[in-house]
Order: sequence, then C-alpha cells, then structure tokens
Amino acid sequence: MEPRTVLVAMSGGVDSSVAAALLVEKGHRVIGVTMKTFCYSENTSPGKTCCGLDGIIDARQVADRLGIPHYVFDVEREFTRDVIDDFVAEYASGRTPNPCVRCNGNTKFRDLLKRGRMLGCDAIATGHYARMGLDERGSAVLIRGRDHNKDQAYFLWALPPEMLPQLMFPLGELTKPEVRQRARELGLVTAEKPESMEICFVPTGNYVDVLEQRLGAEHPALLPGVLVTRDGEPVGEHDGYARYTVGQRKGLGGGHGQRLYVIGSRPATREVVVGTLDQLHRSEFSIGELNWLATPPQAGDQIAVQIRHRAPAVGAQVLEVNAEGIQLVLDTSQRAVTPGQSAVVFKGEMVLGGGRIAS
Amino acid sequence: MDPIYLDHAATTPLRPEVRDAMLPFWDERFGNPSSVHRWGRAARAGLDAARGQLAEVLGASPGEIVFTRGGTEANNLAVLGRARMAPGAPVVCSAIEHRAVLAAADAAVAEGSALRLLPVDGRGMVQRDVLDDLLQSTSVKAPNPASLRLEELAPSNPPIPGAGLLCSPQHWGAAGALRPKHTQRSTERLTTDLEELLRRKPAVVSVMWVNNEVGTIQPVSEIAEGCRAAGVPFHTDAVQALGKLPVRVDEVAVELLTVSAHKLGGPKGVGALFVRRGTELAPLLHGGGQEGGLRPGTEDVAGAVGLAAAAVLAEAERMGEMERLRPLLDRLEAGLRERVVELVVNGAGAERSPTILNVSVPGADPEMLLPALDAEGIAVSSGSACSSGAVRASHVLSAMGLAPELAGPSVRFSLGRTTTRDDIDRALAVFPVVVERLRALVGA
Repeated sequence: MEPRTVLVAMSGGVDSSVAAALLVEKGHRVIGVTMKTFCYSENTSPGKTCCGLDGIIDARQVADRLGIPHYVFDVEREFTRDVIDDFVAEYASGRTPNPCVRCNGNTKFRDLLKRGRMLGCDAIATGHYARMGLDERGSAVLIRGRDHNKDQAYFLWALPPEMLPQLMFPLGELTKPEVRQRARELGLVTAEKPESMEICFVPTGNYVDVLEQRLGAEHPALLPGVLVTRDGEPVGEHDGYARYTVGQRKGLGGGHGQRLYVIGSRPATREVVVGTLDQLHRSEFSIGELNWLATPPQAGDQIAVQIRHRAPAVGAQVLEVNAEGIQLVLDTSQRAVTPGQSAVVFKGEMVLGGGRIAS
Repeated sequence: MDPIYLDHAATTPLRPEVRDAMLPFWDERFGNPSSVHRWGRAARAGLDAARGQLAEVLGASPGEIVFTRGGTEANNLAVLGRARMAPGAPVVCSAIEHRAVLAAADAAVAEGSALRLLPVDGRGMVQRDVLDDLLQSTSVKAPNPASLRLEELAPSNPPIPGAGLLCSPQHWGAAGALRPKHTQRSTERLTTDLEELLRRKPAVVSVMWVNNEVGTIQPVSEIAEGCRAAGVPFHTDAVQALGKLPVRVDEVAVELLTVSAHKLGGPKGVGALFVRRGTELAPLLHGGGQEGGLRPGTEDVAGAVGLAAAAVLAEAERMGEMERLRPLLDRLEAGLRERVVELVVNGAGAERSPTILNVSVPGADPEMLLPALDAEGIAVSSGSACSSGAVRASHVLSAMGLAPELAGPSVRFSLGRTTTRDDIDRALAVFPVVVERLRALVGA
C-alpha cells in the first residue's frame, strides 16, 4: 500500500495505541490526536484534574514512544450539543439511545476528517475493530472486524458514506488478545489498561446520574408513575420511565404472579409498560433516520440485521421502503427490540447501513 | 527537512557554556550554601559569585538580587508581596501583563486589594495619560473617608469603570473589600467606598518592559520616573527584555524587576527579582530565611549560577545579536506581508523587540494553526494556550482591541541565538501555504 499521511484518533486506550503503532510500522506518516470531548466537572479549579486528562497523558506517552506528533483538540461544545444533548433527549422521550453511534456519525469522524485535511493528511484512522474493503465495483465498503467478539461495525453505520475511502481501521484483522500482545511487545504504557465498557461521559457508570444532572430531578421522565400492562391495567408503580429500558426486569417489584419485563414506555402519561417474556418478543418493526454506506436494500430483499451491540445479526425481510424508513420482518422474533437503539443492516460481513429503531 | 525553531520567547536551548558553569554545583560543589563547613563554603562561593554577576549585569548591588524559582515566582513576589505591605491599596498593572502578574493581582484582589488595569492602545502601548492621571490623583492626600461625599469624589477623570480605566467586572466582584456586605446598602455608599479605596496610593504599579506576545517595548524609564515622583513602587517584568535591550536598574527608577534564566539560554525554573534597597516586600513563602527572608528554602545554586552565566553572556552579546536579528525579523515581516493576504502585524507602529513578530491571519482556524505549522516543521506559538488544549483568544490581543476574528488566529514568531536567515526563508515558504490550506478548509 502507498504510504499515506494518516491522522489517528488516540483515546489513550490500548486499541487506538496499537492502531497508531501499526500504521507507523507500515511506513505511513502518522499524526496522533486526542479529542477532549467533555469534562466531568463544570469548573477546572486548581487541584481538580480534568476528566479526560489521564487518557490524554497516556496517548501522549504512546505518541512519544512511537515518535509521532500528538495534538489535543477540544470538541467539548460540539460533543455536548451533538451527543450528550441527544442522549438526554432520547431518554426523556422514552427511547434508549446509542451515544457512540451518534458520536461516530455526527462528531468524531467528521471532525477528524476536517482536522486531518487541515494538517495535510489524506486518511484518518481509529482503533475500531472493523475493516475496510472494496466491493465488486471498486467502491470502499465497511466490513465487520475479524474478531467477532470485539466487532464494532455496529457503531459505525452512521458514518457519512463519502468518508469511506479515507478511513483506515488497522485493528480489523486482529483479535483483542493479539492487540494486547502487540502493545506489550511495543512496550506501550497502555498495554494492560482495562477495557472501558461504560459510556465515556457517564463516569459513574449509571446513565441516570447524567439525566438527573441535565434534566433536573423534577423532570417528568424522572418522576414516579404507574406500571401498566399492555392493556393499560395498572399493576404497580415506578420511579421515572427514563430509568427503565426495554427488557429490564429489575425494579418492577414482586407479587405480579408471573415474571414481568419492561416492554415499553408511554412518556405522555408517564407510564412504563410491562409484559411477559412472550410480549417482549417482536418480529416486525421499522427503522428510521437511515444512513446507507452501500446500495440500500429494496422491498422484498432478504437481509441480516443486528439490533444491539454484541448480538448476532439475524435474518429479516424488507417489507417496505419509504421516505420515513424501512419496515422489516424478522425470520425469528427477537427479544427487546428497543426503540432508539441502532439496527444495522448487513449483507454477509458488509455493512449496508442502518438506522434507529422506531416504535 | 529539519524542523525550524522560531519559539525563543517560549524558551531557549541551554547554552553549553551555561551548562558547564552549572555542572560543578551538582557534582563536587554539592554543598548547602548555609553550611559552615568547606562544602557549604564551596557552594556559597558559587552563589555569591552568581549574585554578584547578575547584579553587575543589571547595575544593582548583590544584596538587591533575590533568586527565585523562575519569572512567575518573581512576579508573584513583586505584586502580591507589595500588595500585602499595603492592605486594601490598589494594585495597578497593564492589561497586557503576563498571566503571572495578572493572576497575582487577582490573588491580591481576593485578599482585599483593589485592582486597576491600565488600558493599552491598538499598538499595544500602555496609555500613559491614564497612569499619569491616576498617579496625580493619588499623590494628593485623600480626604478623611468619614466626610466623603460623592461629588467631592468626582474629579474630571473619575476613576470608575468606563471613564478611561479598565476595570473588569469580575475584578470588582472578586474584591472582598468592595463586595456589598449588606444588600440594603445604598449604591451611593458603595461607590463611595470603592472610590475611596481606589484613591489610595497604589501598593505597586507593574508594567512589563517587553510584551511576550507582541514584543512592544513600553517606555519603562518614563513610567518609572512618574511612579517615583508619586512615591509609588514600580515593578517591571523584564523577562523578555534582558538580553534584548539595555536593562539597567541604575539608569531606570524601578524598585522591582523580574528576570528569568530560560529565555536567555539558561536553565528552566530559575529567575530573580531585583528588589531595590528600602523597598518593603512581604515574602510569599516562610522558612529558613534564605534570600534575605524573601525566598526561603535551600538555594538552587546550580540554577543561580546558570542564570548569572546566561545573563552575562546574553548581555555581552546583546548588541551584536540584536544587530543580526533585526534584519531577519524585518525580512520575516516584509515577506509575510507580501505573501499572505489580509495579514495583520500586531503591534505595528510601536517600538518592538527585534526578536518577536506577532501576526493575525483572519479566516484560518485558530486551533489548527499551530498544529498545522508544526506538522510542516515550523515551531511557533500563539497567545496563551491551555494545557488541556482549549484555545482562548489572547488577552493581550483582546486588550489591544482586536476582534475575536483577528485575536484568535494569531501566531508569534520569536527569534533567538540559533535563528538563521535560512530559517526565515523556510518559514516564509511554508507559512503562506499552511494559511491558504486552513483558509480553504474553513467551514468545510
């Protein structure tokens, strides 16, 4: 491959550290960048270090070790506007968002590409477990990472399609253990860093803390309401519909005679709808806010759809395609088809595109 | 292509001669200068010699030199140290001071001092008339506060916001002594308190000699004369002046003067404050009484030796170096004006240091300018950048009245001992290309 000038996003974690190292190894001219997306604390008074600072220090150390430049850019305002505000609004309207999808599609990659151009780069790279390939017509396509346990293609469906030719995912052919091994061999300070599972702007690991902080405890989404069955029969109380996610069993109280699950919410009446395991399963649903990275499927096409991270894609048929979105019927019904979550459409290993699950 | 270092105002490489002078004090002459024995004496001799050398460079007496942990500490000692000797009295400084002075003044405000910022004109020159008025009004003994009435306090040039003096609201708000203790207190009474405070003789006036961002040279000698005539101690931050201009405390009526080693080819973390004999100053640290009690703590002998050695060398080479650099800076300025459309030279029309050129390039992304130049091998600075990466518009350019569109995308080139004509020509080749690229991508 021709050497390129690559801007690589370095979070300070092991994945993006190795991604940068692999690019350097392949002879590319590499520039590292860390995005400062937000600050846990509102003020940065002396003594209080800024949240992402540890990540920034780690990324800087890795860049120094690799002998590449490293810059820190502040995208806090854009990140708050495009990702956190959306996250909060989605929960407030009774849906369950994927902030990482939103960030990749709206903020991170667009911003990287723009800054990359300003720095004279012709490609951008991240440490996602995904691959780039070419279809039969020679167009760039997004493909699942080889490590299916780590595959992150699910989070990348919302990328602007015109960006694909400039993307590089150096970890796409590696497994996580291989990545760690490379990090150790290279003596990177991030080699043994634990996996970060939580959402980056939810430091406590409990998203409700963010909702309470940004909506206020008096917001209807956080106020008590009634637990109802699908038919509207009250069966108990809950302490705020935004605290519940479809499929959840905890926090519903006992004594219902049968095991109950959250199957939805009705924000207008502040009701959380519960039902049996049976009622949690669905086979027909629609997805909106579509984004296509390849030729979109047509009505009648057989596709594969993944409705949550770390779940396999399942067979489905496209019933209808219209301006609002597409209507799907799954070959086998799935549990907890959750409004707001991403549904990603695959053809084999290739990402065709995706959207947000509508009601 | 080798990268080009045009950031000598940020810091300079340690000169080999300076390093050689310092080495013995980390090795065989490691002693504590306060010790009575021979090791102590060996270290003490080095410290004494360093003090003597620096004093000679500055035209001071050795006893008037206080070694500090750098320019920031010296500025804090001067401003806060003076403010604490005159509780409640105004601290006066220019709006374009280094953060070390402005933040120290803010700290004084938090302790009850009043603050007056001297505005600068569009060239970055301190508005002398404002300072003169201030000194004149304070040289008259203030009337008894108990008998104060507003109309008596309204001279032709009332020292209140909006009347020539820049007093930012956050400073008023932060001033403990000025904060309304009871909301029912009348505005009239409050204004009276405030004016009374501001009419008191300032604890210190601080105006930097050479501005670190735009390079403007303030008429420090005349300002110092004015302050002395009014009986007000005058401090100047000479960190960017030493080695570039004649800096002599026997020719300029300063009471306090800050220097720093690492801008001169000396080590980082060492500076000094000249404290004219008889100037009352409160120490910021408390300890073993070193440096006349003004800066206690076991002395960094190697550092002091490094500062003195760097100052001696810089002063000896000053005239030749400045004669060499002036045409290089002029070449840079003329070349940039020619090659970059809508380029603005900040501080144009003012007398400036032959080592600093600050330009604004409207339309270029302020946050990307330095990285993009660095990626092309040009090392420069802009206004204050914070360690987390967030870029704020320079307070200096803002004080000069530059709109954010100009104050944001600014670049400081600073030349020094290692700068060659080839460096300048390469910067001239690269800079316009980078600016053009950034301008083309704005809003992309």
